[in-house]
Formats: sequence, C-alpha cells, structure tokens
Amino acid sequence: MLDDAKQPLVRVQNLKMHFPIFGGLLHRRIGEVKAVDGISFDIMEGETLGLVGESGCGKSTVGRALLRLYEATAGEVIIDGADIAHASPEELRMMRPTMQMIFQDPQASLNPRMTVSDIIGEPLREHQKGSAADREDRVLELMDQVGLNRDFAKRYPHEFSGGQRQRIGIARALALNPKFIVCDEPIAALDVSIQAQVVNLLEELQDRLGLTYLFISHDLSMVRHIADRVAVMYLGQVAELAPRDDIYSKPLHPYTQALLSAVPEPDPSIAEATDRIILTGDVPSPSNPPKGCNFCTRCPQVMDICKVKKPIFQEVEQGRFVACHLFENNEATAANAASEV
Amino acid sequence: MPDGTLPVLEVRDLKTVFQTRSGEVHAVNSVSFEVKPGELLGVVGESGSGKSVTMMSLIGLLPSPPADVKEGEVLLDGLDLLKTDINTLRDIRGGKIGFVFQDPMTSLNPVFSVGFQIMEPLRKHMNLSKPAARKRAVELLELVGIPDASRRLKDYPHQFSGGMRQRVMIAIALACDPKVLIADEPTTALDVTIQAQILELVKDLRQKLGMAIVWITHDLGVIAGIADRVMVMYGGQVVEQAPVKELFSNPQHPYTRALLETIPKVHGARAEKLNVIEGQPPILGAEPTACPFRDRCAFRFDRCEQENPSRRIVGKDHDAACFYDFATGGPLRA
Repeated sequence: MLDDAKQPLVRVQNLKMHFPIFGGLLHRRIGEVKAVDGISFDIMEGETLGLVGESGCGKSTVGRALLRLYEATAGEVIIDGADIAHASPEELRMMRPTMQMIFQDPQASLNPRMTVSDIIGEPLREHQKGSAADREDRVLELMDQVGLNRDFAKRYPHEFSGGQRQRIGIARALALNPKFIVCDEPIAALDVSIQAQVVNLLEELQDRLGLTYLFISHDLSMVRHIADRVAVMYLGQVAELAPRDDIYSKPLHPYTQALLSAVPEPDPSIAEATDRIILTGDVPSPSNPPKGCNFCTRCPQVMDICKVKKPIFQEVEQGRFVACHLFENNEATAANAASEV
Repeated sequence: MPDGTLPVLEVRDLKTVFQTRSGEVHAVNSVSFEVKPGELLGVVGESGSGKSVTMMSLIGLLPSPPADVKEGEVLLDGLDLLKTDINTLRDIRGGKIGFVFQDPMTSLNPVFSVGFQIMEPLRKHMNLSKPAARKRAVELLELVGIPDASRRLKDYPHQFSGGMRQRVMIAIALACDPKVLIADEPTTALDVTIQAQILELVKDLRQKLGMAIVWITHDLGVIAGIADRVMVMYGGQVVEQAPVKELFSNPQHPYTRALLETIPKVHGARAEKLNVIEGQPPILGAEPTACPFRDRCAFRFDRCEQENPSRRIVGKDHDAACFYDFATGGPLRA
C-alpha cells in the first residue's frame, strides 16, 4: 500500500450487503438487491478515502455497513483492530465511540425537539460518566471547535441555517473523540458558497485531531479537493481505487474516464475544448446485474470477454487498483484485446 | 443589440413579494432581462436568490396569495403577460412558453400514460385530432432520443428512468413549438453521466429548433458548457450579466468572483485550501435599501450600506450592480 510503516485503521474485506426482495402471494423471498457485492479496501490512519459513484451504486450502503448500521451479508470489517462485523451487541457498543457518522441531511438527522446542547451532549450522556456541568463544558468546547456561537446552545435545530445545522451534526460526531468518521454526502444539501465552509472545517478538524475520514460523495470536484485516495464505485463494486492525483490525471477504468469527462467544468474554454465521453443508457438494476463485468452494458471499450467473465480487482500499478479486463496482465487474451483498442 | 434582432421575451423591473405570517418577503426586486430568438440565457444563483420565483412570476404560476407580482412588465412578442386575462395566459403556458421543471417525477402525472401527457398540449393548444396528435407525440419522443417511441407512449412515468423522464418532460415542453423554453434546474436531480446526456440533447435541439432558452441552475459548470449569456442573481436581484466567456474570464461583481473561486475543479490545478464566502445569504424582509451582498463582500465600503447599487455597464454587453470598480481597483466615483 501507500506506506508500509503505517497500519490501516480501517480494513474492509470482501464486504457484501444484499437486501432481500419479498413478493408474491406468500411473501416469499424472490430475489435480492446486491447493493454492495464484494468490495475490499483499507483506510490508513489520518487519511481521507473518497468514495464516489452515481446514485444507487451502493456508496452510502458501504458507509452504513461499515459502522454496522446494517448487518452485512458477508465480509469482514476491522476498525482500529476490532472486528466490527462479528462483534456482539455489548462489544459493539463499547466500540461506538471510536467510529462516528455525519449524515447528508442535517434537517432529518437532528431531532427537532432537542436543543443543540442536548443533541451534542447525547453521546456524552450515553457513553461517559461525568457530571452535568462537565458535559455542559464539553458541549460548549465542541461548539467552539465547529464554529457555532456558544449563545445558541439552548436553541432548536430549526432556528439554524443548513450550513450551521451541518456543524451541529459534526459537533455531535466529535463528542466522543472518535478516530474514524464516515461522512455520508455531508455537503450535498448545502449551497455552493456554504459547501466550502463545511469542507474547510472538516479539513481543519482532521489536521487538529488526526481524524480518519471515509468521505462519500457524488461530487467529483469536491472529492478531488478533500480526499487522499479515491475509490470509484459502480453497481455495488469498486471499479477503480487509486491515489487522488493519479485517478484525476490519468483515470484507467473506462467508467472513471466517462464519469470524470461528464463533470461540467466551470470554465467555458475548457468546456469547449474537452471531448466528452457520453455513456449511453442507464445503470442496470442491482437486483439483476449484467453477467460478466457489471459495466459491460454501457462501456465504450467493451470486449467479448467482458460479457462472460467478471474482471478481477487487482493492483496494476503501485497503489492503483482496477477491475477491468483491459488491465488484466496475467491473461494474454485480455492484454491483446487491450492493445487493439 | 449586437445583431439587431428583437428579443422574444423582455422582462422589465419585475417585483414579487410574498405575504407570510412573519411579514413580507421581497423575493424578486426589479429584475430585468431579455432573451433573443435562438439564444440560451443561463440564470445562476443559490437557493433563495429568486431565480425560480422570477420565472414562475412571468407566466403567473405563483399562487396568489401569498405571492403578489407587484410591478413590472413581461413582454412576449410585445404582449404584456402580466396584464393579459387568464385564458390567454393558459394558451401561452405550454404553447408559446414551454416549461421543464427540476424533478421529473413530481412534474409528471403518475396516473396518466406518457403518451396522454404529451398529446394533451397538442390537443388543447393546436387543436390536433387524436391520430395527428399521436403521430406528433411519436415524433417528439424520437426527437428527444427515447428508443421504441410508438410503443412507449402507452407506458406510465414510473416505467421510465430519471433521465428518460426528463426527456419526456422536454418533449412535452417542446410539443407546441414554443418560442421560449424555460428550464428550471432540469438536470439537478440527475447523475452526472445522465446530465451529460441531457446537456448534449439540449445543444442538439437548439440547433434543430432555434428557440430561445432560459436555463436556471446553481451549477456554474453546467452554465459554462451550455449558455450564450449568463445572468447572476443574488438576494432577489440581478447582480451581473455578461456573455458566458466574458463572465468567466472577467467577472465584475464581487459575488461572481467569490463564487468562481469557491468551487473546486476536476481538471487543472488543485487548490490546497478552498476560498470561502463567509456568512449567510440575506433574508429579504423588506425592500433592500443597501447592497444585499455587503455583509459578505470583501470590497465593501460606506456607500454599500447607504444605497442599493443599480446595474451599470462595465463592458460590451456586460453589466454589474456594484459600486466597486474593478477596472480602476477602487470605489466608483459618485
């Protein structure tokens, strides 16, 4: 990996999350939505891993399954040395303080009947012993950290703007001094001018507190800003995983290439000059994914092998992982086909 | 006008006020703009900047109360839409002016087939017979790139994907050959790869059909790729207006400048730290007597507190509502 001296704080092995579909007269299980279908990655301590993909690709499900907000169908999740996927409820509860989450919609993730100080103080009440006065001090300290005015501690969430509400959510996540935070689309509901405020705050906190982030987003330009490494998901699987600069300057997987070329560039001269790769069709249903490579129905460089055989997710360059037959070195046929493209 | 053509839609000094329980909200304040045939005008602004309310006011789509279009003129080929009766206005909606909304799921009726919904304006506005309307509907679906069009007429909205639904919305809006197409955040609810498909479609349709388009969005990237001219809105007013290349290369309003600096890019150099516009957008409780951007502006001075700047010419086809003169690097001399 990047640096052998560093140990990964988070290690995910072959994670699968299948949701059952029930139907018919007897309400039997008639199939399953393979929201996450066998993904593996590591996150180093102090690192930000960006997880990008289009809606429905399973990126939020990964975030939730990682913290065991969903019971994963299969796979292993190790956070800070502890096995999350197989821990008993009591063990899991002991581990909760190290791992926290920031949600997309600050309106929906804050209880409208609780004051700001109750919301931020709740994890303290649940997980720590201490007097009410100690908690109060800690809440005010957290409010300072995220840039909320201390005078607003007794106010309710509806009295705040979207950006400030997201700061409340961040303060709550920080309350127990976590090591690892899953940020699930934390800026998607915010206006452009407010997004930068929240992203800068997240970066500052990371520097100051040595946090490790999984930053889930569909905004490729913001992920380029905040992430150290980026994983691109498509239909429940990771298509490509690489250090940030590599993936943005030279994307390898055809899907990553199409995704990056589809991002509208806020500069008319670049917008005119770039040749977009326009993908045809829509994302297939995760309950009935295509045979072979799951991108084969839309891939501009599709080969015969892609429709039959699933590509292996493997390291093709130092630190760069791709699941694509174009890069499968050990298969002579694939290599030949790649050179023809 | 550079090429002498008359604008097809002209809006002058439009003011819209909402009466709410906690007082008035001045959502649109003296907004003026025009669109020429074949032109694509991009309207950019954050939520609450008044961009959607402006467009809804034009054709009387806001419920009154609480909304009240207080002043202004909206001229469509010389006819003032704010003074016409409701029947003429109904003819114009979906006839001369087509609308595409943000969310294709909520703007299509789930209990009618897509074919019915495309044929409805054709039968109402153009008095086509049923077979003729059906034929035209198939043409329209083919035009917007829906495969197997004649069979899909019978399908209901839920049987289409998000991108396909937005194509259906565009087909409905185009049904009666509108002179103006107003598109309110049409790609915001879509994924980037689907958004790219729709943007290509609109570019293609413009060349084929030559109507004027007003494209509302908060995404400067979309605007850069598609617009001819851009209007930036903030706090219910137009703060800057310029041809697209001019706006991005030579912005003359502090808000536009800050906005361009605050968005990260996918290509080119990567900024170590994002520039931030501090503070919050204004709450428009009263008619503004000062510049709405003053609290967040890096260039503010005394005059910004005392008057609301009106739009002034700063270049060819380029105006900005600001007292700061970026050409001289100092306050504008009064």
